[in-house]
Amino acid sequence: MIRPEEIKMSSEETGKWGMVIDQDICTGCQACVAACAMENNVTFVGEVDSGYGRSMHWIRIERFWEGEYPEVKMTPNQPMLCQQCGHATCEPVCPAFATVHSQSEQLNLQVYNRCVGTRYCANNCPYQVRSFNWRDYERPEPLPNQFNPDVTVRRRGVMEKCTFCIQRIHKAQDKAKSEGREVVDGEFTTACAQACPASAITFGRIDNPESLVSQLGHRSHGVKHLEELGTLPNITYYKGG
Amino acid sequence: MIKRLFDWLIQPLGLIAVSIAVLALFSLAAYGINTTQQPPAQPIQFPHRTHIAFGVQCLYCHPGAARGPAAGIPSQSKCWGCHQQIAKTNDPKSELRFLKAAVESGTPIQWIPVAQVPDFVQFNHRAHIAAGKNCEDCHGDMTNLTLAENPQVFNMGWCLACHVKNAGDDHAKLVKLTDCGTCHY
Repeated sequence: MIRPEEIKMSSEETGKWGMVIDQDICTGCQACVAACAMENNVTFVGEVDSGYGRSMHWIRIERFWEGEYPEVKMTPNQPMLCQQCGHATCEPVCPAFATVHSQSEQLNLQVYNRCVGTRYCANNCPYQVRSFNWRDYERPEPLPNQFNPDVTVRRRGVMEKCTFCIQRIHKAQDKAKSEGREVVDGEFTTACAQACPASAITFGRIDNPESLVSQLGHRSHGVKHLEELGTLPNITYYKGG
Repeated sequence: MIKRLFDWLIQPLGLIAVSIAVLALFSLAAYGINTTQQPPAQPIQFPHRTHIAFGVQCLYCHPGAARGPAAGIPSQSKCWGCHQQIAKTNDPKSELRFLKAAVESGTPIQWIPVAQVPDFVQFNHRAHIAAGKNCEDCHGDMTNLTLAENPQVFNMGWCLACHVKNAGDDHAKLVKLTDCGTCHY
C-alpha cells in the first residue's frame, strides 16, 4: 500500500519529451487520429471488431457531456494518447520486459519483437491508450503502399501504443548530428501536432525551459490526468482558460 | 493397443521404419537450415571482386550508406554510366548481356537484397559510417566475392556486443547505444 505522501508529483520530476494540449482550441476534427494512423502504420480493424471494442488508435478524441437530456452541453474535446509516464504503470507488469522505459529518451517503449501478448500492460494502463492486435487485419491494395518504412508493421498478438513519434525524434537527432548541431525546438514535431489545424497540440523538450512546450506548460491551470496515481504523465492539458 | 504398437516397433522391421523416419526428419531439418545459409540467387552474377579490383569504392555504388538509413542498390543507369563505354558490355556471351538487355528494354533489374534485418529493427547506415565503422566490418571482405554473402548472421547479440564495446566508459553513450528504442520502434 502506497501512502499519499510517497506518491511523487510531476513537479518534482522532469521528463525529456512532453506535450501540451489546449482543449479550448481543439475542435474534435480527428485530423490527429488520421495523421497518427498514417504515420505509425496503425491498422484499421473494421466495423465488426470495432463492435467488440478492439478498435486500434494511438490517439483518440474523448467526448463528454454535462447535464441531462435534452439539456446537454458538450465539454471540450479531450485528445487522449499515451502520456509517456515517468513512472508508468504498464512497465512493471510486463512479464516479457516488452514495455520498458527508455533511459536515453525518457519514453515508454513498446518492443514489438519481445511482446508475447499477455495484454497485462493495457489492463494496467489508467489512460486506456494501449491497443492490441487481435488479428492480422487485411489491408487491400493500394493501402500497403502508404506504409511508413520507418515504423514496424505490427503482427497479430502484439500490443502497441503511441511512441511520441520516436522515428521522427531519431530522424531529427540523426540529421542534427550529421550537421554537427543540437536539435532545435520546433524543428520537428509529432504527426498529431503537425496535422492539428488549430495547433492545439504542441510537442517538444520539457527539460529545456526555452522551448515552446515549456513556455506553454508554465501557465497555472494546466492539468495532468490522473496525476494522483503517481504516474508522472508528460502531457499537460488546458481547458477553460 | 500401445503395447501392441510397441511390440511391432521393437521387431527388426519396426526398428528400420523408425530409423527411416528419424533420418528423414533429420535430413529435412538439415536441408532447411542449409537453405537459410545460402545467399539468394541473383538475376546477374555480379562480380564484386572485379569492381573492387578496378578501384571502385563501395560508396560509389551504394552512396546512401553515407547519407541515410539505406545504402541502396544502384539502378541500371548507374551501371550503364560506366558500362556503355566498356567494349566488353557488347560481348553477347558475357554476363553483361543481361545488363544491356535491361537498359535497352527499360525494365529494372530485380536484385535480391542480401544483408537484411527484420522489419522490427530500424537500422541506420549513416550513424554507423559516421561512427567510423567500415563497410567490411559488417558485410565482410568483398574483394574475393562474386555475389554478396553475409559473413555472419545479423542478430541482436552481435549488434549489442559491438555497441557495448564502442561505448567504452562513456555512460551516456552506453545508455543511448543499449536503449531498446534506439533500434526497435
